[in-house]
Amino acid sequence: MTTPAALHIAGLSKRYGATQALTDVSMTIPSGEVRAILGENGAGKSTLVKVLSGVVTPNQGQLEMDGQAYAPSSITQARLRGVSTAFQELSLIPNLSVGENLLLPRPSRTAFWPEARQKTMQRAEQILSDWQITDISADAIVANLSLAERQRIEIVRAFSHAKRLLILDEPTAALPDAQWLFDQIRRVTQKGVAVIYISHRLGEVREICQSATVLRNGSTIKTTDLAGIANDEIFALMVGHRPTPAVKVRAQSSTDVPLIETKGLGGWRLRDINLTVRVGEIVGVAGLEGQGQSELLRVLGGASTRRQGQVLVAGKPADLGTPRKALDAEGGIAFVPEERKTAGIFANLSAASNIALPSLSKISRGGLLWPSLERKFAEPMGRRVALADRYLSVPVGALSGGNQQKALLARALMTGARCLVLFDPARGVDVGTKQSIYAMMREFVAQGGGIIFYSSELSELVELSSRCLAMYDGRIVAELEGDTLNEESLVAAAHGTPLAQRKAG
Amino acid sequence: MVSVSTGAGRLRNASALQNMFDGPVPIICIFLIMAAIYASVLPSALSQYSIESLFNNSLPLMLAAAGATFVILHGGFDLSVAGVISLANVVVAVTPVSGPEGAALNLVSVLAIGLLVGAINGFFVAYMRIQAIAVTLATMIICKGAALLILGAPGGKVPDFMVNQLTGSLFGMLPVAIIIAAAVIVFWSVYRRTNTGRALLAIGQDDHAAALSGIAVAKVRFSSFLWAGAFYALAGYMLAAQTSTGNPNAGDPFLLLCFAGVALGGTAFGGGRGGVTASLFGAATLMLMQKVLFALGVSSFYTGVVQGVIMIVAVLMMPMMRAVTQSSRGNE
Repeated sequence: MTTPAALHIAGLSKRYGATQALTDVSMTIPSGEVRAILGENGAGKSTLVKVLSGVVTPNQGQLEMDGQAYAPSSITQARLRGVSTAFQELSLIPNLSVGENLLLPRPSRTAFWPEARQKTMQRAEQILSDWQITDISADAIVANLSLAERQRIEIVRAFSHAKRLLILDEPTAALPDAQWLFDQIRRVTQKGVAVIYISHRLGEVREICQSATVLRNGSTIKTTDLAGIANDEIFALMVGHRPTPAVKVRAQSSTDVPLIETKGLGGWRLRDINLTVRVGEIVGVAGLEGQGQSELLRVLGGASTRRQGQVLVAGKPADLGTPRKALDAEGGIAFVPEERKTAGIFANLSAASNIALPSLSKISRGGLLWPSLERKFAEPMGRRVALADRYLSVPVGALSGGNQQKALLARALMTGARCLVLFDPARGVDVGTKQSIYAMMREFVAQGGGIIFYSSELSELVELSSRCLAMYDGRIVAELEGDTLNEESLVAAAHGTPLAQRKAG
Repeated sequence: MVSVSTGAGRLRNASALQNMFDGPVPIICIFLIMAAIYASVLPSALSQYSIESLFNNSLPLMLAAAGATFVILHGGFDLSVAGVISLANVVVAVTPVSGPEGAALNLVSVLAIGLLVGAINGFFVAYMRIQAIAVTLATMIICKGAALLILGAPGGKVPDFMVNQLTGSLFGMLPVAIIIAAAVIVFWSVYRRTNTGRALLAIGQDDHAAALSGIAVAKVRFSSFLWAGAFYALAGYMLAAQTSTGNPNAGDPFLLLCFAGVALGGTAFGGGRGGVTASLFGAATLMLMQKVLFALGVSSFYTGVVQGVIMIVAVLMMPMMRAVTQSSRGNE
């Protein structure tokens, strides 16, 4: 293949209402090349994917495929030009079989009288074996597959249509083993197919991609060969500044009355929990999936009720029956729950309204809400979590995941609570957002607050916590701090085998 | 999400048992139980005449529920059923062309009406993205108004040929109503396996994923409103044959009963699960229930109460059956 450029993008812009998602994006991808698109959440990667796959039409700019204009207005049109996409959110229909999903929108070759199911399945089996999938049957129902298996089917479907350009949006998010994927990518690139590869995992990107284009705030920042650039430089391009190397600052634990103290706390899946959170402390909670950590944070945040024991807030017994009561307790406890999509945000309200929501009484004048006041109060909170001002008036549902999380945290700050209860606050967000969230947490405790948080990432717990509690089977099995707090000891404790000595707590 | 072990062997299809209970089997069982009760309480119910009249009574509602199912399967809603049935009913009653030609002419004209209303609904809902409930409420009111313009009060005359042939029995033993219902079942069992049929279920499951899979979502939605309109018109046509008269308000009782039939059949109102066959039996069960209650001597004052309770019980039972079959699969 000597075709110079499979895809050429020039001056591409896309606006959603007031939000400028893409501004003057340009890049050229040669045939047979695997190009990484890197950027933080909200940098415009998803919008670029949607434009290229025909889901949305751009406001400005030219697209060319093999030197010919390319302006798809639907997925089907994009496929006709040999462009197909494996979407991050997985576009499979759960109740249909794997085979039907692979062949949609035309599982039956004939239009009026359906062809025999067996024939459909034969064609689907052929596709599966073409892409070296041997452990999933074409007539399995998608709903019965694991997330990893669904992701492979989504990817295979994209491969089966990709004659010129294949777009993979976070293809390994649920894949335990990327080797199969890389093998298939190498096969198609040999045939001259260009690949756009979007991933947060730099290790993978370095393994499979030749070059990378960095997007920031919807604009192309730089296209670079991956061979000659260090990770730090890439992060710097993505974030706009070099991330400060994580300095392990241990906040000083004070000896005042604890912000939160529990005595023999018990509940659903919780047994005999004794813990304290003091001013200036970030208390981490570690645990494998389902060891009670979620329930513990829910009880402290008022989202679940305790069955036994006592919770003292600022030294006084508190009820904490509902999140409202938790907020109203002495000093206040603000809770950021696990599922931000279902339990956290109001997608149709602006970010400013979302932030101001629990504190309406503070910002109403004469019993009425004024949008300008809402904004005025939300702005400083947004700044504390590095949420750009321009996002405040945008409906939260239109923001990227990282910015949604920032808005949720800003809401918790807005309540004025002295204690924050955070469930995996930096899950699924990019490097830059993570740093902003960490900075906010450190600043919060430095100013006289206390935080208890759970994280699924051990490195995060080690980096942030002043003390870390390991949970196993509903109990706190170890409390680690200082030199004993490292990833190895946490892993051991979380598996119920506390190798490390228990420190006084 | 049900996780299935991937350790050994290929993932196989869901068990046949589960497939059965996802389909129309539960409602068919309920229908047969109800029929058995009816026959044991009232042995004369098994006579040729009783069966014929039972199905003649039920068919219009069955067809209406079948039509509504097309729209409900993609997650939509269609209130125009009441209007289309009334309009089709009076059109037949004021077209006194006798013989088979008359029946054919009437059929063509009511189908044209049904398709037109369906096209209007489909255009506004699928392409203009206006709320289905608003659009179909408007078309229902328009159709009812048009029916009153055509026939101000109950009356008119349905040609004898239609009354006699469409409510009788073929070869003196097979009620025409059953043949029509069977034809609809055959039609659906083919249609649901066509590309459009699969697309309809896919959209009801997840319209976003369906669009990303390359399905022309608007086109499929539009076509489902067309099918719905045609079935409503057919329901009005059969209602005219059965009552042998025209009534501009004939469609009103169908509005709620038709959704009740769909729900009883187990079709999910959020879309994506269920089918026309299940709705046909759901509607038939609803009508049979009235007869059973009457035969049992339940005062007509209580009929509504009992019917409602039975409906809730039936709708509760279906997910339970499904849960049982799923959990047994999980233990495999």
